[in-house]
Amino acid sequence: MRADAVIGRSVARYDLPEKLTGEAQYAADVRLPGMLYGKILRSPHPHARIVRIDTSAAERLPGVRAALTPFDAPEGRIAPDVAILDSIVRFVGDEVAAVAADDEDIAADALGLIDVEYEALPAVFSVRDALMPDAPRTHPEGNLIGGKPLTLERGNVEEGFARADRVFERSFSTPAHSGSALEPRAAVAMWEEDRLTVWKSSRGVHADRLNLALALGIERENVRVIGATMGAGYGNKDETRLAVITAILARRAGAPVKMELTREEEFVAGRKRHATETTLRIGVTNAGEITAIHATTLMDTGAYLSSGPGVVRRAGQGALYLYKCANVRYDGYLAYTNQPSGGSYRALGAPQGHFALEATIDHIAQELGMDPVEFRLINHVGIEGQPGERVTPANQIVDTQPVEGGIPFSSNGLRECIEKGADAFGWRERRAADANRANHIKRGVGMSIFIYRGGPGGRSSARVSLKPDGRVGLTAGLMDVGEGSATVIAQIVAETLNMAYEDVDVLFGDTAQTPDAPITAGSTATFSTGLAAQKAANELRAKILGAAVARLGADADALELRNGRVLSKDGASLLTLSEIAAAATQDLESEAWVMPGSADYIVNSFGAHFAEVEVDTETGQVRVTRYVAAHDSGRILNPQLAANQVEGGVSQMLGFTLSEQMLTDAGSGVTLNASYLEHKSPTIQEYPPVQVVFADVIDPVGPFGAKALGEPPSIGVAPAIINAIRDAVGVEIADLPATPDRILDALAARADGEG
Amino acid sequence: MNGFEFVAARDAADAGRMLAEGTASARVIAGGTDLLGELKEGVISPARLISLAGVARLRGIKAGDEGARIGAMTTLSEVAAHPHIRANYVALAQAAASVATPQIRNVGTLGGNLCQRPRCWYYRSPLFDCRKKGGAECFAYNGMNKFHAIFGGAICPAVHPSDTAVALVALGAEIELAAADGERALAADNFFAPPEADARAENVLQSGEIVAAARLPAPEAGLWSVYLKAKERQAMDFALASVALAAIVRGDRIERARIALGGVAPVPHRARAAEDALAGMRLPDVDAAEIGRLAVHNAEPLRDNGYKVRLTAGLVARAIRTLREDARETARQ
Repeated sequence: MRADAVIGRSVARYDLPEKLTGEAQYAADVRLPGMLYGKILRSPHPHARIVRIDTSAAERLPGVRAALTPFDAPEGRIAPDVAILDSIVRFVGDEVAAVAADDEDIAADALGLIDVEYEALPAVFSVRDALMPDAPRTHPEGNLIGGKPLTLERGNVEEGFARADRVFERSFSTPAHSGSALEPRAAVAMWEEDRLTVWKSSRGVHADRLNLALALGIERENVRVIGATMGAGYGNKDETRLAVITAILARRAGAPVKMELTREEEFVAGRKRHATETTLRIGVTNAGEITAIHATTLMDTGAYLSSGPGVVRRAGQGALYLYKCANVRYDGYLAYTNQPSGGSYRALGAPQGHFALEATIDHIAQELGMDPVEFRLINHVGIEGQPGERVTPANQIVDTQPVEGGIPFSSNGLRECIEKGADAFGWRERRAADANRANHIKRGVGMSIFIYRGGPGGRSSARVSLKPDGRVGLTAGLMDVGEGSATVIAQIVAETLNMAYEDVDVLFGDTAQTPDAPITAGSTATFSTGLAAQKAANELRAKILGAAVARLGADADALELRNGRVLSKDGASLLTLSEIAAAATQDLESEAWVMPGSADYIVNSFGAHFAEVEVDTETGQVRVTRYVAAHDSGRILNPQLAANQVEGGVSQMLGFTLSEQMLTDAGSGVTLNASYLEHKSPTIQEYPPVQVVFADVIDPVGPFGAKALGEPPSIGVAPAIINAIRDAVGVEIADLPATPDRILDALAARADGEG
Repeated sequence: MNGFEFVAARDAADAGRMLAEGTASARVIAGGTDLLGELKEGVISPARLISLAGVARLRGIKAGDEGARIGAMTTLSEVAAHPHIRANYVALAQAAASVATPQIRNVGTLGGNLCQRPRCWYYRSPLFDCRKKGGAECFAYNGMNKFHAIFGGAICPAVHPSDTAVALVALGAEIELAAADGERALAADNFFAPPEADARAENVLQSGEIVAAARLPAPEAGLWSVYLKAKERQAMDFALASVALAAIVRGDRIERARIALGGVAPVPHRARAAEDALAGMRLPDVDAAEIGRLAVHNAEPLRDNGYKVRLTAGLVARAIRTLREDARETARQ
């Protein structure tokens, strides 16, 4: 690395000062003259037809300025299965009506004056019940999405099972849980004649603009979406009706309207990780070769589809691709129920699928008398990819979440992750160590590995320009959702232009000022927009040197760009960037578009996680005492941000593994624990020391060798911890979260079995 | 949240008078950590809030050889940090320190902790008109009840949420009540009331009456106590089950012991069979696991909370082991 290299350095986030000083504007911080406040009336029924709504008493309340009901809402849709407001409500908490008033208290009082007559409809609260032939239908087309499961197969699993010496089958479940973002979602809408401006919590301003335009039936050009600072996104801000309802209230009231969800609304009517049940069937030879894998997942999308099809597909990627195997099959059943809606949530279905897969693999290793690390080293997929024939035509960009074999990975650091992680953790020593501290506290260790599609996303763009003062502007339609993508992409630009990172100004996430961009999702931002920024910066570099050539009459080969200056090859400073900008006759700006991906390789990220736990057999308490997270995300562009990303993923999924779940009453569908008190996210007391290790494998496709990192840290946590619990006390926790009651029940069941 | 009148009481009698005038919908507010939640969630909508913040006599700890009096407005942090409480009434200091988070303990008071309302999620949701709100039905008994009672929950299995109540019962404390026309004191055991009498109340406070203080008896020679609390999360969580054990130990013999259980019943629950078994026993002869089993011998778990029976038995056994280890340690010194 050069001494002045920007890539690989932990530069501070570009927005750090404004966050530290409290100047950062979150959506709920936006205040406009004459602004009103909106509130949403939510359904007390899990499934009902709204027969009649009378808002007249609410509208007579002084200070109430607008109301919206399903019966007077515009006809547009927010998604194919989501109307702006619907006369059918599908979960307890679904939107029924909305008001805007002079202040929040008046708006809340107005909700209490809305008279609604409901006709209750039969409801269904689990996928198993929803798939029964006579189950109540949440939507007219039936509960099973697409009318059949998603089936993906390579080779023939029955042949694979026939070849196995032993076949193992295990079943697992995972609960709905919330990302629990500190910032509840919020939106502010303002109309100026026919032009609408919306500030909102957003994972993609251009997608939000399109959705608003389609729902409201107006031209996209008349909608501006400004992405406010995000108080955590985790993928699902915003898949709800919030912005559209806010915009309609603002139009009706003739004044700007702000709407911010309460904490309880955020838990109930935000979006959650989908609850799943997964059965894994795996055939192995006595030598430990995997001959067949068949995974079946039932997934609850709740009242609305949201990103469910993508989530159910990702739940299968581990089973299909993590282990070398010619015969694999995945059946994913995605169904509607009358539960609160699922949505995109960090790594989509991958954590659920990997939990089942990696717990089963651990069980198999134990049954075969093999060390879990050894078993994985023998069987994990290598850089050559899976056996089988490439089906994707040559020259066509390959799927980063493929089923077919015969396509190599661009890079694959799984082995490095397993080996470096095991070394950092001290796996062999710890496996051998005395497992018992006090006689009721048992210590154990566990690990997991994982694969994740990420990196290449949709068509991506960036604009890079030289400003008159010699600074460089980086403009992209992307949203930095808090993870730091804008900082890292600015580093890519600075590195390409061989200048200081501090001299790059960033403008992201405003549809009026940035080129079209995909949403920040699927761990694609740094990779895809980074490639576009790299391309644009290279083009700008050529333009700058061209301008210098014109000015100096020198040969371009005799010049180089460094630290904001044009230098001669012998290092003499000839021109500053501001001098070039001042003298330029052409626009020193480049906008580049890329369709990221590879026709030759699958681009995936990998990792291996290691956990040490102590299980208190009297209280059922599980403490994670040490954690090592090893990741292959290509070259690490900003080590501090990358480590933060990994630590955050571990902390988030520590809750998923041990304490968090959204619970609804089985009889009524009412969410029982919509609060930080009862949706039990870990505190600092639960958080273990986490050591982050990077494989540092350079990827040939990504920008400066980088691959995806956003979501992968959340995938390996549950299986590593659950496998450590098994090692500690010899029971398999098949249902998450592993709360004390479940640990105690499992220990008691084992004791009864032995008795 | 509805509008309400906010008034400040000058003294305890004044508070009692304003409470009595204010009809059933007046409430006193101390730290407010529980009351504000109930207001915001729409579980209650009182017409009047009476602040006790300005009543000096309700605040502070007076402690000496004759016992201790802890004013109801003393914060949980103050209780947990007080040297005399820490030295003589260990279980109470531990219980106060185990509540919620430091921020809440800095604001929340002992009186508020004793009078806080149960966390039953059906009670806390405005969508269920349950018995605790005066409705006809209990939704928890046949519903989702992993956090509910394993003792005495037939009418309403919402568990008493207080940690300090459990310690005070084990320590044989009295609760001092004040009203406009005077004061009275009750054994802590008799202050808390099971739902059979009135499912809407967790204690015997009459209309116009407030908790003024907790009084602890003189620290007897050989008094030893401990509070153990099992929770799903180590901060900001209520007890899945808890135990306060207070014993008078002379030499290696337990003269008598009181065991109160938290998180398992609508009131702090005395494990009397276990207490009786311990009385007079030599510490080395105590079978801790057996005492644990005795403590839960009459448990009646619901669908989702069978684990609490084993958990509680394990905590009681652990409390006894802790006592034994402490006694050995003391003997060595």
